[in-house]
Amino acid sequence: MASDSGITPRKDLLDIESLSVEEIEFLLKTAAPFKDLFKRSVKKVPALRGKTVLLLFYEPSTRTSASFEVAANRLSADVTNFQVSQSSVVKGESVLDTIDTLQAMRTDYVVVRHGASGIPNLIAKHTNASVLNAGDGFHAHPTQALLDAFTLREVYPDTNGKKVLIVGDILHSRVARSTSTIFRKLGADVAVLGPGTLVPEGRHKFMQGFRTWEAAMAWKPDVVYLLRVQLERQQDQFFPSLGEYHKVYGLTTERFSELQDRGLWLMHPGPVNRGVEIVDEAMKYERSLINQQVENGIATRMAALYWLRPGTASEDSSRKSIA
Amino acid sequence: MSDSSKTVLLKGGKIASEDSPDLVDGDVLIEGGKISRIGVGLEAPAGEGVTVIDCSGQILLPALFDVHIHAREPGQESKETIETCSEAAINGGVTGMVLMPNTMPAIDSGAMVQSVLNIAAEKSRIPILQSGCITKDRAGKELAGIAGMAAKGVPVLTDDGSPVSNHQVLRRAMDYAKDFDLMLAMHCEVMELSGNGAMNEGRISYQLGIPGIPAISEEICLDRDIRIAQYTGAHVHIQHVTTARGMNTIRRFKEEGVHVTCEVAPHHLMFNENDIGDYDTHYKMNPPLRMPEDNAQLLQGLIEGVFDVIATDHAPHTAFEKANDFGSAPFGITGLETALPSLFDRFISKGAFGWDLLVKRYSAEPRRLTKLDPVPIVEGGAAELIVFDPEAETTFTKDFMKSKSSNTPFLDKTLKGKVRVVLTGEKILLQR
Repeated sequence: MASDSGITPRKDLLDIESLSVEEIEFLLKTAAPFKDLFKRSVKKVPALRGKTVLLLFYEPSTRTSASFEVAANRLSADVTNFQVSQSSVVKGESVLDTIDTLQAMRTDYVVVRHGASGIPNLIAKHTNASVLNAGDGFHAHPTQALLDAFTLREVYPDTNGKKVLIVGDILHSRVARSTSTIFRKLGADVAVLGPGTLVPEGRHKFMQGFRTWEAAMAWKPDVVYLLRVQLERQQDQFFPSLGEYHKVYGLTTERFSELQDRGLWLMHPGPVNRGVEIVDEAMKYERSLINQQVENGIATRMAALYWLRPGTASEDSSRKSIA
Repeated sequence: MSDSSKTVLLKGGKIASEDSPDLVDGDVLIEGGKISRIGVGLEAPAGEGVTVIDCSGQILLPALFDVHIHAREPGQESKETIETCSEAAINGGVTGMVLMPNTMPAIDSGAMVQSVLNIAAEKSRIPILQSGCITKDRAGKELAGIAGMAAKGVPVLTDDGSPVSNHQVLRRAMDYAKDFDLMLAMHCEVMELSGNGAMNEGRISYQLGIPGIPAISEEICLDRDIRIAQYTGAHVHIQHVTTARGMNTIRRFKEEGVHVTCEVAPHHLMFNENDIGDYDTHYKMNPPLRMPEDNAQLLQGLIEGVFDVIATDHAPHTAFEKANDFGSAPFGITGLETALPSLFDRFISKGAFGWDLLVKRYSAEPRRLTKLDPVPIVEGGAAELIVFDPEAETTFTKDFMKSKSSNTPFLDKTLKGKVRVVLTGEKILLQR
């Protein structure tokens, strides 16, 4: 078990942008012994015994919510799945009504996913509980970034100067935002490749980008990080067809061969659209880190839960002393 | 209150005018609602009912006039009413304003205009001008009852809050409105480009994950609106310009002799997208805050005279609505009470521009734009003025503000300057 080593706990984990490099390093260091724990027969530690973790998912996400649930269970916390409407029209105002309920329930940690950017920030301002952002709109997905960084560190203990190419819908991707931010903070170079419609306006001023696979490959990346293509983007005319997307921006059979030849690492946040951003045979690539990413999600989420400290409003002090 | 024999003497102040950046020492004697004398060392005439106000160290300026106000009545009285809005105006030194017609229902007929004027006559201590819609229910499809609204004295037609997207409808409206000598005030936005955007499109919108409203959304529509005005010969007024490029388009058309006027809002001079920070909805309005370089260039344009008027786009919303997430919260901030102190604090006190610019752009020109006489502080002139204390400060607490809403970035902030007295005719509307 990692000690606190002078890193002051935060109340919330809302994005990667606001984390210092020291805080990121601390979280990654803390996650390592948690991962080792999984090899034991008893995978639990008592760190959060008596604490309540509430999962508040306004967007369907079996994988992330399951990952948080396992992480919280392994820290011996009590986990509650709060049933909320997973309709995209749930606005901040009704979220705040729910938060009043949570305050009354004296929850210690709230894990929230929502389709609108900034909802976790809004919740964090209105509750003493620690808020963990499990993905909000296009904004941030900090635990995905942490698990990605942890995974990258497993293949490159020194990430300085390593090159990561992120491919796909950069504009609408919270993963692209958070993961590129954490990689940069850890000294890696990040560049993006995607259709002109799906990379942000004015990007040349603030991010390195390529227009073609060939140009991106000439940059000599060490890791290719594919993003999931949301199928509705085609309906909104961001690109003409899924077939054309695959041809121009997807990991085709030919491009996969090149990846294999060069021995590049392959990452993807899942779930994968086979035949769109990635050709089927690449799923069995020996340098694919996709399953490792999923496994590391539990350890890094344990580290995040372990690190955060719920707020210390006076009405909470009695509860804290009992716990 | 209609004691026309009431006499007021403002002693020891300095008088501002639109003609010179220099303030002129002068006592001002007001008798029967008019300025009867201006001079140094004036004595109060003998007799009853003379009010003497010590104005030493203070500035007398013609009362302000705002052409872009949302009073929310009828239909959204939880945000603002004509009564609270007019009190907010007085609190900020504004004694005349043009209300936008995007109420619920919208003001798109003579009868609707009359209904607002009736409320105003009863509830407002300052004169209210009501504007009318260009199209029925602001839907952009059919022309509103323009003749009926003209007969009720609307100074301007506008679908403010929405553009008139259909080129042909706008062209017809401009051709038609000319005969009634009405200008069209345009909210410029290409809705297809704005989409569900909630802030300026760029680096910050990307970081926050908030869909963006690109500058071209405003600039393209603005350009089209002026071209149609040029073609039809109508007077077009461009509302709340936010980008340097849009401003320069207007400048160019003005040089060509097109009858185009325009306004800038204080917040677009002072704030930019960086101020949104952690999703602060007090910086969410439409058109949105742009880039720091736009602030600088809009200010320069104001100084150079591209902007005919300053107008706040006072847009009250309840605290509950603004507490929503950034994407869902409504567009708009209040401005009536903070405009003068903020312009003083940020610009005049720092020497960016003089009092003459403020008087011209936020008092005289807005009145001329709506075919009213300006109210300079001159002998024989109408007494419609404010006393402003440049040494004092104002803290914009909820208690201080008279607007029903307090959705302003200045909430609980302190600015230099304080409106001490607001006076129209023989009435002292505010004194503190």
